[in-house]
Amino acid sequence: MGKLMKYEFRKTMFSKAVLLVITALVEIFYLFGVFLKWEKGLGIGVLGLVLCASVGIFYIGIESLLIWHRDLNTKQSYMLFLTPRNSFQILGAKVLENGISLFLAGVFFALLAAADWTIGMIYIGGLEEFVDLLQNFAASINVNLEIPVREILVTFFACIASWLLMVVTGYFAILLSASVLAGKKFSGFVSFVLYMILMWVDGMFLDLVPALKDFTIQYVLIILAALLLSAVYYFVSGWIMEKKLSV
Amino acid sequence: MLECREITKTYGRKTAVDHVSLQIQPGRIYAMLGPNGSGKTTLMKMAVGLVKPTSGGFYYNGRPVGQNSRREIAYMSTEPYFYPWMTVGDVGKYYRDFFEDFSQEKYESLLKRMELTPDLKAKALSSGMMAKLKIAVTMARNARVYLLDEPLNGIDLLARDDIIASVIEAAEQDVSLVISSHLVDELERVADEAIFMKESHLVDVCGVEELRMTQGKSVVDRYREIYGHGGEQKWEN
Repeated sequence: MGKLMKYEFRKTMFSKAVLLVITALVEIFYLFGVFLKWEKGLGIGVLGLVLCASVGIFYIGIESLLIWHRDLNTKQSYMLFLTPRNSFQILGAKVLENGISLFLAGVFFALLAAADWTIGMIYIGGLEEFVDLLQNFAASINVNLEIPVREILVTFFACIASWLLMVVTGYFAILLSASVLAGKKFSGFVSFVLYMILMWVDGMFLDLVPALKDFTIQYVLIILAALLLSAVYYFVSGWIMEKKLSV
Repeated sequence: MLECREITKTYGRKTAVDHVSLQIQPGRIYAMLGPNGSGKTTLMKMAVGLVKPTSGGFYYNGRPVGQNSRREIAYMSTEPYFYPWMTVGDVGKYYRDFFEDFSQEKYESLLKRMELTPDLKAKALSSGMMAKLKIAVTMARNARVYLLDEPLNGIDLLARDDIIASVIEAAEQDVSLVISSHLVDELERVADEAIFMKESHLVDVCGVEELRMTQGKSVVDRYREIYGHGGEQKWEN
């Protein structure tokens, strides 16, 4: 499966390189803001990095769906389905590569944020002044920066699990559409509609997790529910690919 | 041995392959003949599991085709299918990564014969050069069965000779080759058996030499009998 994952990564390498270049550019703004105490540059840097992290991670997930659609609806599919690998391995490689990419992107942006925070503290001359500087900028654009760090960490893994569910649901919707429509004109639109319906069903399933007083336990339950549903989508998709899918 | 039993594939109301049973024996070269839409490509795709049959099945050494049979069956599609970012060299690396029977040495030698260089972008190749790349990467495998769908399409006369030569080189004692083409006379030179498909049915399978010896006919003559105006209607019964 390692080789399949290698080629899945290769398919998304270009967009990841573009994301890295853009992140590097806004990081330069941030560093200039810190070193020169340039408030506007610092603001652009912080906003840019937040956008790069959120839009970047979102795109990594979306791109995986776009590639899957292309893999099933064009002759490119032969590159996957002519190899001596079964459908579960093919799909598993996609899920794993996407999961690892999302995780690494999350870790990368978290480390970058931590490094930037530290650099800010050192060069601006103390935490208080650094936070003041950020808050001055935030106040000028009416953004509240008082986000509890603990909640961010707890929700991080829940976000990864939920996103994984969204991606696997997307794979399933595209697969269903490809199996029935076999690359016809509107397969992309049908996949999207099917995806919306399935996401609604997923939402209903996750809503079954009761609201608990303990925030951490509730999120663990949500993570487990999302993983369970992801596993169901994965096995049903693998079965369809193995028995029914013609490319 | 590769065989299909009563295999049928329908797309909605259209039947692409209708109750075909066929055995591909080791050590034989088969010419699969028939006009467009006769079911040749669908039959080949079902043999490697790219297309799932509506009923019946394809078997390799007695087991349904799938992951394991793809280790020993090499298929060359008539359409280009490489990833757009790939160079000719990348295509070879991809096959080397996935197929244990792939020979890099053989690939390089075939590329040389086909006048292709590893740095060429696959998506920028002309249709003739793309056909050469597909044949080079497929024949660089030491497979037990080769299924070549229209390998001579869009290829000039001299390059055809190169392809035919590489096909003959692959034809060892225990290796089967199935080649589909419209160029009947080109295939007659190398084929041991001819498979005739018409309107999704298998019309006839006959030995090329046997046809010549017993009926005094060439494959081209037989082709005319089957597909020409007023051709025989045996397959309808």
